[in-house]
Amino acid sequence: MRVLLAVAAMTAATGSVQAQSSPAQSSPEQSSPAQASFSGATASFAGAGQPGEWTSQARDYANTRFSPLDQITRETVGKLQVAWTFSDGTQYGHEGAPLVVGDTMYVVSPYPDTAYALDLSQAGPAIKWKFDPNPSPQAIGKACCDAVIRGWAYADGKLIYNLLDDHTVAVDAATGKEVWRTQMDDVAKGVTMTQSAFVADGKVFVGNSGGEMGVNGWLAALDVATGKEIWRAHAVGPDKDVRIDGTFKPFYDWMKGKDLGVTTWPADQWHTGAGASWGFVSYDEQTKTIYYGTSNPGPRVPLQRPGDNLWTSAMFARDPQTGMAKWGYQFTPHDQWDYDGVNEAVLLDMPIDGKMRQTLVHFDRNTYAYTIDRNTGEVLLADNFAYQNWSTGFDFKTGRPIVDPALEPKPEVKLDRVCPPDIGQKDWEPPAFSPDTGLLYVGVFNICMGLTNHEVSYIAGTPYDGMEMERFSVDGPDGNWGGLLAWDPAHGKKIWEIPEKFMVMSGVIATASDLIFYGTTDGWFRAADAWTGKVLWSKKLGSGIIGQPITYLGPDGRQYVAVAAGVGGAAMVQSGRPGFLPRGNTIYVFSVNGETVQTAADAAPEAIGAVKQP
Amino acid sequence: MRSAVPLGFAAFSLAGCSSSPLGYLDATGPVGGPIARLGWGLIAISAGVCIVVGILLVIALWRGQRHADLEIKTVDDTAAIRWIGVGVAISTVFLIGAAVWTLVTVRQIRQPASATALSLDVTGQDWWWAVKYRGADPAQDFTTANQLVIPVDVPVQINLRSRDVIHSFWVPKLGGKMDMIPSRTNVTWLQADKIGDYRGQCGEFCGLDHAFMAFDVRVLSKPDYAAWLDRQLLPAAVSAGEPGFKTFMVRCAVCHTIRGTPAGGILGPDLSHFAERETIAAGLLPNTPDNLVNWINNTQTLKPGAKMPELHMLAAETRDVAAFLEGLK
Amino acid sequence: MSIGRLVIALILLVAVGSATAGWLVMSHRQAQNRIEVAYPEGVAAVVPLGISAGQAPTLNIGVANPLADDPNSVQDGKKLFRTMNCASCHGYGATGGMGPNLTDTAWRYGGTPIEVYKSIYEGRPQGMPAWGNALPPQTVWQLVAYIQSLGGTFAARPVSYTSPSPANPDQASQTGQKQ
Repeated sequence: MRVLLAVAAMTAATGSVQAQSSPAQSSPEQSSPAQASFSGATASFAGAGQPGEWTSQARDYANTRFSPLDQITRETVGKLQVAWTFSDGTQYGHEGAPLVVGDTMYVVSPYPDTAYALDLSQAGPAIKWKFDPNPSPQAIGKACCDAVIRGWAYADGKLIYNLLDDHTVAVDAATGKEVWRTQMDDVAKGVTMTQSAFVADGKVFVGNSGGEMGVNGWLAALDVATGKEIWRAHAVGPDKDVRIDGTFKPFYDWMKGKDLGVTTWPADQWHTGAGASWGFVSYDEQTKTIYYGTSNPGPRVPLQRPGDNLWTSAMFARDPQTGMAKWGYQFTPHDQWDYDGVNEAVLLDMPIDGKMRQTLVHFDRNTYAYTIDRNTGEVLLADNFAYQNWSTGFDFKTGRPIVDPALEPKPEVKLDRVCPPDIGQKDWEPPAFSPDTGLLYVGVFNICMGLTNHEVSYIAGTPYDGMEMERFSVDGPDGNWGGLLAWDPAHGKKIWEIPEKFMVMSGVIATASDLIFYGTTDGWFRAADAWTGKVLWSKKLGSGIIGQPITYLGPDGRQYVAVAAGVGGAAMVQSGRPGFLPRGNTIYVFSVNGETVQTAADAAPEAIGAVKQP
Repeated sequence: MRSAVPLGFAAFSLAGCSSSPLGYLDATGPVGGPIARLGWGLIAISAGVCIVVGILLVIALWRGQRHADLEIKTVDDTAAIRWIGVGVAISTVFLIGAAVWTLVTVRQIRQPASATALSLDVTGQDWWWAVKYRGADPAQDFTTANQLVIPVDVPVQINLRSRDVIHSFWVPKLGGKMDMIPSRTNVTWLQADKIGDYRGQCGEFCGLDHAFMAFDVRVLSKPDYAAWLDRQLLPAAVSAGEPGFKTFMVRCAVCHTIRGTPAGGILGPDLSHFAERETIAAGLLPNTPDNLVNWINNTQTLKPGAKMPELHMLAAETRDVAAFLEGLK
Repeated sequence: MSIGRLVIALILLVAVGSATAGWLVMSHRQAQNRIEVAYPEGVAAVVPLGISAGQAPTLNIGVANPLADDPNSVQDGKKLFRTMNCASCHGYGATGGMGPNLTDTAWRYGGTPIEVYKSIYEGRPQGMPAWGNALPPQTVWQLVAYIQSLGGTFAARPVSYTSPSPANPDQASQTGQKQ
């Protein structure tokens, strides 16, 4: 009898596998507008793995978060339903993307940074193995903005990630056994690690967090096989520490000179000058260059650190082999409002003024969207992608934003309205790029802050902060706090925007079927038309979404979309607003009609002793 | 003859004043000099007026004794009224002269003759002085405490602030007083024309330890000053292994800064180059190891109400910390 | 004549009396500044099972804050709360941030004055630094006085094993979420 049932279940499963391809085939093509790309931008998509896989946070080296999958179309997306869920039971913000390699999904939780391998060939979350790295609880209270992790990396059969207590650990993907563990810094000094490790060129790149704690920021390269440190480049300090030599060629004159990481600070203050690196790293395989940003300077009170404070709130292009900087560019000199430069660079090639340029596109927290020549560091375009009032314009000669002196904070003097606030109009949440539309899709905020600065002591292990803030919508008490916008990076303009009541702090993905997926911090997970921004499907999840969605093909050949719902991090600035959901810890996996793998082992048990119906 | 006694007494006290560290009547230099000259001048005028009035009074009394009748006559003597007029006129001339002189002096010392090459921020607080040097580029910015070191013959702009109550910045031998008002910046300047050590003092009552809120001004030759500046710009010479360093980091670092180390507190004075300071506790004690141990152990006895608490450190800890600090050249 | 003597005697009496009272008060205060870390006598033997965290009598939780009712100490404590960077973690209104809310009645390590003192003095495992080496007892008590003024702490009480009642009944229903 049981055997019979199992056979029936298997038949059903096979049937559904066969059925899955039919919607894609039957989907009418008529709605696909034969439009030309808005910007003409393309990307290389190198490092992306198999089409059905999602093997790194951004899926590819260029940071596009574009999937070539097209089973879920604009027609079928409305039928998406939950196929299965997985809860990791932790209570901090879920900011990472799960990875899918082969028929396994790999999930890492926020603190205590527990790793799971889930077998996708079985129904629901079938745990293959679990790895508990046991990081120090001290790290919880040293992380400025929740005990989060922004994902992890897969390389050479290993999963590599950062523990909140400043260790980088590699786990065997097949067995879940620790391969190596390297201590990177000292958590007692306030250094934590929340960044997603990034693998390219046989190395794993990891950076620290703690821009609010007066740390000394760095990015380091470790050997994938052994975890041995190959080089470490600081964001502050003498050229030797920053790994700058004669080959360093910044585009703008004011960033040229010796030991600028020392001379643009009051004497010896660079030691606690921050410039941490906790954003996503990009890699250009052709020129062999990595790109990453650095955080705000410390302390956050600008009066205590006159000077440009290089190389904080900046971006570096480096040689991954040696770590030597090729060029650097500071987005916000003498950053006075905590506008870190950590946000990612999306590497795109596009025609600008009729000339094909190799660029990187960077949405800075300071609300400028930069299109920068990624070989020279020249700013080609700098336009506001959302509302700001701290800068009155951009000087393309010097590459410096022009600051409104009225909004420069002074200790103990309240500024009523500075836009954007410390977390920017876009924080670390990564955008997606679609080569079809040529647009970038980015979750943004629509907020301002009231700001009072207090002069602050450096006390090791406590915040080196001094900013007392409140945040509110740009548009008044009833205004929206966020949105999702489509950005043309070749012309520096917004094409459309989906307004949202709450901040959009999730990652965005784009698919070959011209869909984009994103989540809101009040728990809506949405799919929209990449051309028009029309919302085609929405589902309210159990907690706010700050995770990064992924899409993948299961071993059953179905396309799935997955995202973690577990609000936390900077999104908690809204926690007092009505409608804000409590914390959560669930990964939701969606498929058309919620169909998923069914195996004999998962057959529902039959009640014993039940009377059989005739 | 009788007026010679108070006059002599005044002269004596003035002389005593000028030989003391806070005496302002023998000041020289472009700010102190005119003020001292004005002071002497006003004293001379006042003394002259006193002498003249005294002599006239004596004469009047002498003459009055000869006409000893007590009958009160109505004054219809135009000559007497003329005398009053003459007196008023003479007074007016002297008063206006003194006022003009004062205004001219104030104007003269308001701004230095040449642009100031050096600008310092001095922040008063209960009961000590933070001194921030501002260089041409930020890397030459550093902070010290209770001590101004300035080059000779260079006008120095001083930006005055207060962190709590009203204080007043006063280096009697080099310049006038200027109040330090919370939440605003007052600007004054100094210029010394002689190498040497001078003393400054809070000139506005600011609480319990007002009298113990002093500072030193060291005027150096230009090469000496440049050398001092270079030494200051170096990070503190510490070896992280010494016991005093460790104790300092645990006990003292939340309030005091030592540049280049994890000690970054801003509540107390920056101690990066503590050993080269003349005094400790805002001019209270000469900077010697014994005094430092005494100060750490008995802060509240030596300077009651000072913000620095007594931590009741072990004798060995205090000794280690004192040795460590006295090594910070 | 006798009135004059009486006045002198009275003045002397008042002087001596107030000096004695002052000395007593001061020495009492100083005595209170000392922290009692020993087990109260006999208590260890009668600790019942099931005592919740922060309530076990490892300290004499009957010790009151000697500065609790001194408005100057509350003000000084408030200043210290900022200058020692407490506000950066616990929030400028002490309502929480990187560290827990200190205005509600949820206390991971106990909410009586001496327990709050102990948390500041020793630090706590989830990132709270230990301040006992850097701040003298007087200063820690000032911080405790400020935290007490926020209304979420419990009154010092003799060792007993009943559940504590909040100092401020309005906040009893709040369940502060502590990370």
